[in-house]
Amino acid sequence: MSSRNHTQWNATPDLQRGEWVDSRIYSDDQIFEDELSKIWKKTWIPVCHESELKEAYSFRTMTIAREPVIVVRGKDMVVRAFLNVCPHRGNMIERRPAGNYKRGTPSGTPKTMTCMFHAWSFDMKGKCVNISRKEAGYQDRLNEDQVGLRELKCEVYFGGFVWVSLNDDIGVTVEEFAAGSLDVLAPSLNEEPLEVFHYHKAIIPCNYKLWHDTNCEFYHDYLHYHNRITGFNDAYFARKNNGFDGGHINVGSFEVQYENYEGSHGREELSFPHLPPNHWYMIDMFPGVNFNLRGSALRCDLMTPLGPNSVMIEFRGLGLASDSKKDRQTRIDHHNSIWGPFGRNLHEDLLAVTGQGSSMHPLAESRKILHGRHENETIHDENGMRHYYEEWGKLLNRSPSDPDKKFEPYPVFKEQEAQRAAAAVE
Amino acid sequence: MAVSHHEIKEQIRELIYNTCIHLDDYEWQKWHNNCADNFNYAIRAFSPEVQTDIKYHGGDKEYMESITNMLNKHNSDQSPLRRHCTVYRVDVAEDGKSATAISSLTVHQTQLDGVNSHVDAGTTSVFLVGRYNDTFVIDGKSIKFEDREVRLDTRRLDKGTHWPI
Ligand code: FES
Ligand SMILES: [Fe+2]
Repeated sequence: MSSRNHTQWNATPDLQRGEWVDSRIYSDDQIFEDELSKIWKKTWIPVCHESELKEAYSFRTMTIAREPVIVVRGKDMVVRAFLNVCPHRGNMIERRPAGNYKRGTPSGTPKTMTCMFHAWSFDMKGKCVNISRKEAGYQDRLNEDQVGLRELKCEVYFGGFVWVSLNDDIGVTVEEFAAGSLDVLAPSLNEEPLEVFHYHKAIIPCNYKLWHDTNCEFYHDYLHYHNRITGFNDAYFARKNNGFDGGHINVGSFEVQYENYEGSHGREELSFPHLPPNHWYMIDMFPGVNFNLRGSALRCDLMTPLGPNSVMIEFRGLGLASDSKKDRQTRIDHHNSIWGPFGRNLHEDLLAVTGQGSSMHPLAESRKILHGRHENETIHDENGMRHYYEEWGKLLNRSPSDPDKKFEPYPVFKEQEAQRAAAAVE
Repeated sequence: MAVSHHEIKEQIRELIYNTCIHLDDYEWQKWHNNCADNFNYAIRAFSPEVQTDIKYHGGDKEYMESITNMLNKHNSDQSPLRRHCTVYRVDVAEDGKSATAISSLTVHQTQLDGVNSHVDAGTTSVFLVGRYNDTFVIDGKSIKFEDREVRLDTRRLDKGTHWPI
């Protein structure tokens, strides 16, 4: 058989369950709604970095699963999160992306979050501190205590990232949720305060999981001239792709040969605490968070799924708050050369997932998306994606390869087992 | 014979407009040739999200040359970018040895292969809006770019691009 007809194209691949997924999971409206309610509204999501909220009364706004969220730093310097929704008539309280409440707003007094509509105002702990003309309208039937903001679970964790959950009953800390996946970088990111030096965003016509997959698989080195020229050596192919409970993975380090790319400079001169120079670590957390440390710059991708075929990705770059001006500039230049909106790799990655988004439609002939590479769980193995979709299937109780069917645990992969056994003998 | 400031201003306008044509037409080397050896290029925007000025791209002349030299090795969106530029102001220094210019800039992108070409190819949209803030060095015989800052208003660049603006 060479090319295939409809029946052949739709046939079950001659691979084990779990080694492919059906493209409907990347395009179906109902599956997307399921994901918002069963995954995104249930879990911890990092929303920004604490260096974006340096001072008391500073705030940032964002969206989780369509819910508008505001994060504020109180007078007590504690970071708290609330629904950015006024308890009066449901207006979004804060419209700006960031700012500080030390200055009053046109409808409100300083040091309060004030809804501009009818000037109800709230302190940094979410307590209502003013109902305009309360007695005249509500007499003694309603008071401030009854109309506080909806507070959300919030933690500052892992190098100062701010994590929020819409789920009051989540029952685990961020540390427990991470299940060890962050440990590889924790000593380096927790040693001293970090600071965001780069932010940009993109809205891409593809499913959010396609971006996460791309961050999880390194096989697409063929997309990036930069990677092929700086990365392909034995140490690179030996890097392990490790799975953790909860669908998270991380990838260990090796030394990148930056000097092989014309115009790029080695990154010897700068790293992060406890890290040798020129190393490269990657953490991909379920359901769609990426931490990527290449020598001198930490990148973090946060995703906001907007629809089955639309995702907003926020890209941040971070260095040390203590950086000298010169070191900071070096980190920025290193970051931009591959990860800026004009950099080498990011543009290529975004082109590729746009191409996937263009080709996948809910009623199209199904595409079996293959995740079947077994390479001893090293860099070009596709175990990272398999690991993710096993968790995904479990949470939605849908089979990733046949999403109308109930989830069945993935098999123990024969090749993987054999490779592990062989490695143990060596 | 001394050149009047008026003439210098005219030459600078011409240089900025010619550079737009070079960049539109991928004549990268012609652009580099019009830059001084100590040229520096940067694309920047203020981010109201993180309340910081962000440098998106840039470097010295050697770096920008390496960027354009490597283009054909990379997969890129080949949808052409067309610069629409108006020079708003040119200020020549007293001594006539340097000058600055502010130009308003809009860049349009006409889809070629960036999405689904069958549907989207030929569609033009605004890729970005911003300004060129240029500094020139004038040595009597020639005028060259010493610094170019592309100051962006647009901060959603989506897929981005490999091409300098
Ligand atoms: S809706 Fe906010 S005060 Fe009325
Ligand atoms: Fe990539």
